[in-house]
Amino acid sequence: MIKALLWAEAYKLMKQSRTWYAIAAVFVLELIVLISAYYRGAAVIDILLNNLKESFYFEGDLLNGNLLIYLILNSLWFNFPLILMLVISGMITDEYKDGTLQTVMLQPVQKKWFILSKYIVATVFTVLMVLVLALSAFLFSYLIFGKSDLIVFIGKLNFFNAVEAETRLILAFLNGCISMIFFSLASLTFGVIFRDTLKTWIVSVLFLIVSNLLLKFDFKWELINKLFYAKLNDTWQYFFQYEIPWNIILRNNLLLVGYIVGFSAIGVVIFNKKDIG
Amino acid sequence: MKMSRNLLLLLLGTLSALAQEVDADLLKVKAKMDSVQSFEAGIIMDVDISFINMPTKEATISYQRGESVKFNSDDFILIPKRGFDFSLEEFFRHPFITVDRGIEMYQGKSYKYINIIPNSKKADYAIASLLIDTLNYRIVRSEIITKKEGAFTVNMKYDSDSAALPASMTVEFEVEEVKIPLNFMGRDTDIDRKQIRTEGKKTGQIYLQFQNYHVNNL
Repeated sequence: MIKALLWAEAYKLMKQSRTWYAIAAVFVLELIVLISAYYRGAAVIDILLNNLKESFYFEGDLLNGNLLIYLILNSLWFNFPLILMLVISGMITDEYKDGTLQTVMLQPVQKKWFILSKYIVATVFTVLMVLVLALSAFLFSYLIFGKSDLIVFIGKLNFFNAVEAETRLILAFLNGCISMIFFSLASLTFGVIFRDTLKTWIVSVLFLIVSNLLLKFDFKWELINKLFYAKLNDTWQYFFQYEIPWNIILRNNLLLVGYIVGFSAIGVVIFNKKDIG
Repeated sequence: MKMSRNLLLLLLGTLSALAQEVDADLLKVKAKMDSVQSFEAGIIMDVDISFINMPTKEATISYQRGESVKFNSDDFILIPKRGFDFSLEEFFRHPFITVDRGIEMYQGKSYKYINIIPNSKKADYAIASLLIDTLNYRIVRSEIITKKEGAFTVNMKYDSDSAALPASMTVEFEVEEVKIPLNFMGRDTDIDRKQIRTEGKKTGQIYLQFQNYHVNNL
């Protein structure tokens, strides 16, 4: 049964025009970010290397595909989950709005499996979207701007050679997947709770904004700084520390997976308990 | 009367010092370096600057007499502005005087210590101090105080007594550390130059190893 439900959910998702608009929006955003990153990249390099100009000549081009992908990563981690949340939350709110939920529930379908299939399809869709984003970012950036060393400022000026930079950028995208899944599934849970499309969108957007604000907020207790979900969403940045802190990355990702399971469980439980009507 | 005579002697002494010729050993070093028509070599570079993490870099260096040294690398490299004037062209571009400071011990050996003081305002350095190996006519250490680019110290090691070009080199320099807001390259990539603070001068070093020299002598 679950297989049929998964196919049905995937079909419904891909049939929605909203999904294709979202994919198109990602490409448009990526293009805009790429152009802006190219112009901003020159200023970034100028600032980072300004104090070294006095003592050094520079050989090689730091304004290359790797820096642009890094800037794309920085810019898209707010806009991208926003698009995902709008699409994913629609998977359940549209069912409420169109009344299709009652129709489905008249079939021999368990509520638990029905909602679980939505969470699974939402996860797969999110991963696929991140892959599309990553592939297009690498493709456009490398084709147009080539590949060379990456410069990143995280406490210190970190330089990575081209191969190392590419590996770290791929790892950052893969790690970013977990954050994106978290926001996608959170929006699905909000959809289960609020049912109404507009309310769910407002709550999802608010949740994303608050999460971003809290990411920069320094809590008084170190334990909160370590464990709070909002603090885990830029774990991908650790891949650009010179020595990758694998322990912190593993801990943060496990915690975030815990939050994902927690949020999803809340959605499944609420959906199971609530009446459909 | 006696005082006037002393003043005259002091003036004559000063004029004599100013009019002194360029140090003979320095000229011999210059002649030795001028015998190198061109060279090419591979270099391995390691950067030691407190606020920079950079992997070991490889590059090639090429030199043609009368031209600046050229570097080529597939990677991004930092090239110190001083330390690669193998033919001492920068010193000899404008008139200067040399002052013999005697003998100085350096790494267990004694070397001739001289100062180079430019006579022309056009020179881009204020003073240079050199340790000269007078047996093999080459420079083992130079300290250059530039007018605009801070101070550079270059230490050179040679493979053999006959070698004119160094096998390894350390370039020490002063560099201003900047403090960039933590979120600068994080999620918020807006650039606010006002937020960038300097953290004072730091000393940095670049270690260079030369390999596979191809030297064309005159």
